[in-house]
Amino acid sequence: MPSPRAQRLLKAADRLEETFMIVALTFMTVLTVVQVVLRYGFSTGFVWSLEATMYAFAWLVLIGMSYGVRTEAHIAVDLVTSRLTPGGARVFAGVALACGLAYCALMIYGSSQFVELSMTLGNNARDIPLRRWVLTGIMPIAFALLALRLVQAARPVLRPQAKAGDTR
Amino acid sequence: MTAGFLVLALFVLLFLRVPIAISLGLASILTLLLFAEQSLVSLAQRFFFSLQGVPPLLAIPFFILAGALMTTGGVAKRMIAFANSLVGHFRGGLAMAALLSCALFAAVSGSSPATVVAVGSIMIAGMARSGYTREFAAGLICNAGTLGILIPPSIVMVVYGAATETSIGDLFIAGVVPGLMLTAMLMAAVALLARRLNLPRQPRADWRTVLKTGREAIWGLLLIVIILGGIYSGVFTPTEAAAVSAVYAFLIVVFVYRDVRLREVPKVIADAAKTTAMLMFIIGNAYLFSFVLTTEQVPQLTSEWITELGLPPWGFLIVLNLLLLVAGSFMEATSVVLIFAPIMFPIATALGIHPVHLGIIMTVNLEIGMITPPVGLNLFVTSGVAQLPVTKVIRAALPWLVVLLAALIVVTYVPWVSLVLPQALD
Repeated sequence: MPSPRAQRLLKAADRLEETFMIVALTFMTVLTVVQVVLRYGFSTGFVWSLEATMYAFAWLVLIGMSYGVRTEAHIAVDLVTSRLTPGGARVFAGVALACGLAYCALMIYGSSQFVELSMTLGNNARDIPLRRWVLTGIMPIAFALLALRLVQAARPVLRPQAKAGDTR
Repeated sequence: MTAGFLVLALFVLLFLRVPIAISLGLASILTLLLFAEQSLVSLAQRFFFSLQGVPPLLAIPFFILAGALMTTGGVAKRMIAFANSLVGHFRGGLAMAALLSCALFAAVSGSSPATVVAVGSIMIAGMARSGYTREFAAGLICNAGTLGILIPPSIVMVVYGAATETSIGDLFIAGVVPGLMLTAMLMAAVALLARRLNLPRQPRADWRTVLKTGREAIWGLLLIVIILGGIYSGVFTPTEAAAVSAVYAFLIVVFVYRDVRLREVPKVIADAAKTTAMLMFIIGNAYLFSFVLTTEQVPQLTSEWITELGLPPWGFLIVLNLLLLVAGSFMEATSVVLIFAPIMFPIATALGIHPVHLGIIMTVNLEIGMITPPVGLNLFVTSGVAQLPVTKVIRAALPWLVVLLAALIVVTYVPWVSLVLPQALD
C-alpha cells in the first residue's frame, strides 16, 4: 500500500504523462500541417520539421507505453488465464510480471548503452541543434517508468488485500 | 531451430497473458541473446528508429487522431441519419442502414474497432428499440465494422506499405472496390435474412429528408476526398494527408457540427495519443521480431522452400490465407503484417502476384482476424458498446463470418477486384 504521499506523487506523474502526450501529438499534427501551408503558400519550410516530428513521435510512444499499462490498454491473450482459480491467476500474474520486468531490464540495459554510445560520439542530431543523446536519452528512463507501471498494475492481482485502499 | 525457439517463446509469453508488445519484444531479445551474435545496443537502436515512424508510419497517429475526433463529434450520427433515409424503408432497413453507416464511417476512419465504436454506440441501442435483438445488432456491426481497415484510409495498409515499400495511395484506392463489394454482400445477406426473420421496416423518407441528411453528412465524407485526392494528385504525402485530415476533422466537429466543445478537445487528443502509443509499442516490438526472422534468413528459406514445393499461385494463396487466418486470430493486425509481409512478399512477387493485390488479401484476412477469438479486437469493443458478454458477441458474430470468408475467396482469386481502380488511375 503506497503512502498517501506516494499516491499523490503517482497522481501527479499520471497528469504529467497525459499532458506530455497531448502536447506531443498536437505539436506533431500542427507542425506537419504548417509545413504543408508553408510549402504551398510561401514556397518555404523548416528543415528541422520532419526530424522534430519524428522525435516527438518516438517520445510520445515511449512515454505512452507506460501510460497504456496504467489504463490497461495493452492487448493480451486471455485464453488460458480467464479459466484460472484466483490462486492460479496470482501465479500467472506473477510470472507475467516477471517477464515484463525482464523485458524492461534488458531494454534499459540495451538503450543505456545506445545512449552512452551517442554521448561518446558527441554528435548533433541531423537538423535539430541538439546533441543526439539528449533526444535518445529518454529511452532508458521510459523503460524504467514502464517497469514501475507494470508493478503498479499487477499489485491488485498479486495482493488482493491491497485492493481496497488502492485508488488507482 | 532458432526461428522455432522464437515462435515458441512468443506463444508461451502470449498464453501467460504478457501484453502482445512485450511478448514480441522479449521473444526477440531472448532469441538474439541465446543464438545470435547481435548486441542489445543494436536492438535498442532499431527499436528507437522504428518508433520515430519512418515516413508512411508517421501517418498513423494522425489518422488515429482524425478518427478519434470524428468518433466523438456527431459525424457518425449524421452518417447514420443519411444511411437510414436511403435504405431504412426496406425490410430490415435499420440493419442495412447500420451496415451502410459502417461503410461510410470506414471512409473517414482507418481502424476497425473505431468504426464499431462510432456506429455501434448509437445503432445497437437504436436497433434494439425498433424490434431487433441486441445480439443481432451486435453481431452485424461487429462484422461490418471490419470495413474500417478495408475502405480507405487504413492503418493496416499504411503498415503494409511501410513494410513492403508499396505505394500507400495505390493500396488505399485498391481497397475501394473490395470494400463496396463486401458492403453489398453483407447487405444481400441482411435482405435474405429480413424475410426469414420478418425484420421490421421504417417509414420511407422523402427526397427532402434524403437531401437534408446528405448535406449534413457531406462534411464528414469530404475527408476521404481530401485524403485520396490529396495523395493521388501529389499535393500531399500520405503523412501530410493524414495530418491535414486530423486538422480538418477538428475544424468540422468543433466549428461546423459544434458537437465537441473546445475544452473537450484535449481529452480526445489524449485518447488518440493513448491509442497511438499502444499501437506503436506493438509495432516497434514487431519490428524487432521481424528483424530476428530476417537475420535468421527465414524469409529466404521459406521462399526457397515454397519454390521447391513448386506450388502454383492458387496453392500458395491457400497456404497464405490459412496462415494469415490463424495468425490474425492470435495476434494484433499490424504486427501480423510486419511479421508476414516480408516473408510472403518475395514469394508472391516471384509467383506474379501484384504487391497491391497481396496487400488487399492480407487486409481482408486481418478483418476476419478481428472477429475471431482469442484476440479479436472488434469482439471486445462490440461487447463494450453493446453491453453484452464477449461469449455472446462471439456467437452473434459467427454466422456473418461466412460472408466475410466468401469475400476473402473473391478478393484472393479475382485480382481484378483489387487492381481495377489503381490500374485505371495509372
